[in-house]
Amino acid sequence: MSFFECLKAYPEGTASASRLALTAKRLGYQGLIICNQEPDKVFRSEAADCIKGINLIMGVEVKAANARALRSRVFALRARYPFLVVQGTTEETIRATCEDPNVDLLLHPCDGQRPLTIASARAAKLNRVAIGFDLSPLLRLRGSSRARWLEAAKHNLILARKFDLALVITANARSHLDLRAPRDLLALAETAGFDPCEAAAALALPGRLVELNRKKWLSPGVELL
Amino acid sequence: MRSRLPVLRTRRRYMAFELEAEGEIQPRELMSEIHSSQFSLFGDAGAAKNRLKMISFDGRFGLLRCRHTYIRDTRAILASIYSINGIRVALHTKGVSGTIKSATEKYIPQLRKISVENDGRRIELEEVSGWIIRTHGLEVDLCPDDRNKTKGSDTRYLGLTSFDLCGGREDADGTPDGL
Repeated sequence: MSFFECLKAYPEGTASASRLALTAKRLGYQGLIICNQEPDKVFRSEAADCIKGINLIMGVEVKAANARALRSRVFALRARYPFLVVQGTTEETIRATCEDPNVDLLLHPCDGQRPLTIASARAAKLNRVAIGFDLSPLLRLRGSSRARWLEAAKHNLILARKFDLALVITANARSHLDLRAPRDLLALAETAGFDPCEAAAALALPGRLVELNRKKWLSPGVELL
Repeated sequence: MRSRLPVLRTRRRYMAFELEAEGEIQPRELMSEIHSSQFSLFGDAGAAKNRLKMISFDGRFGLLRCRHTYIRDTRAILASIYSINGIRVALHTKGVSGTIKSATEKYIPQLRKISVENDGRRIELEEVSGWIIRTHGLEVDLCPDDRNKTKGSDTRYLGLTSFDLCGGREDADGTPDGL
């Protein structure tokens, strides 16, 4: 199974695209999706093409204060990038993301205060928005804050299973030291409550979504060859 | 605990791992961090079922002993280590084997250059400027002049490659043009 990882390159992270590609190739990833908020400003993205044997894809991350700004930004960026991630911050933006079929992935903040609601989950199912679990709190935090995160993640996972949503797991790496090998990430996801098969499918899903988005769709189910 | 009957002996696996760090890490510090991570993730009861022991560690590659049914948990323990005494690290599992000999032969490279080149070269580019801390093959660690560049990810250095510094030439051998 080909595993893909979503991450941030310099200047939003602290490692260049080529360093991330070099590390990810050594760890056994088939591809990387760089999800910076400003993909035009990524430092020497062309240098990463020198690293053979890994598929580097430019995606984009959207972060907006309110639903209106989010919708207009998603509409403007959709045609230019094959992968579009939204970082959900407020309840309003999370709801707006789930109701937008142009979004590929919603990175939900697993927070006890703002859990995934039933209405959002239903909308995400209808519009085929995948729900992303950012595992970086599992690496960074210790003690009660990590326990709270685990509880919230479990709640979101139960809801995602109930509505049969597409799941994605990512370490949301900002530097090459945040990257973890696919099997290590799967082990972490299983500790957080994922099934082994579910976790493996979740780690491979971004690659499949990019592949689907690169095809030319005339209308749902009709492809231009 | 040692049992006299071979059938009652606990079955072991040896996990080879690789440490990537921004500074020097002593084996004692690493082991105490692994234990702390284990206690934090699985608690005392979990640690009692899966006793971890460091077999060897040479500064980059190491070997860890665990119970044969807890390989997944051991992977999670190693993956959830974030920093040791304020130095950012990443532990990657290389593989698991049944004996020390086979784990060493399979996963721990013997013939390799351990030394990392430490040079005081300076780099001045439009987007980034600073001192090169070390180079290792294609990898270059850079200490930026502007400390805000590494804000948000707790790292001290920027991770670059020699391809970044010489404009993506394919035959780059670690002596970039921008120096």
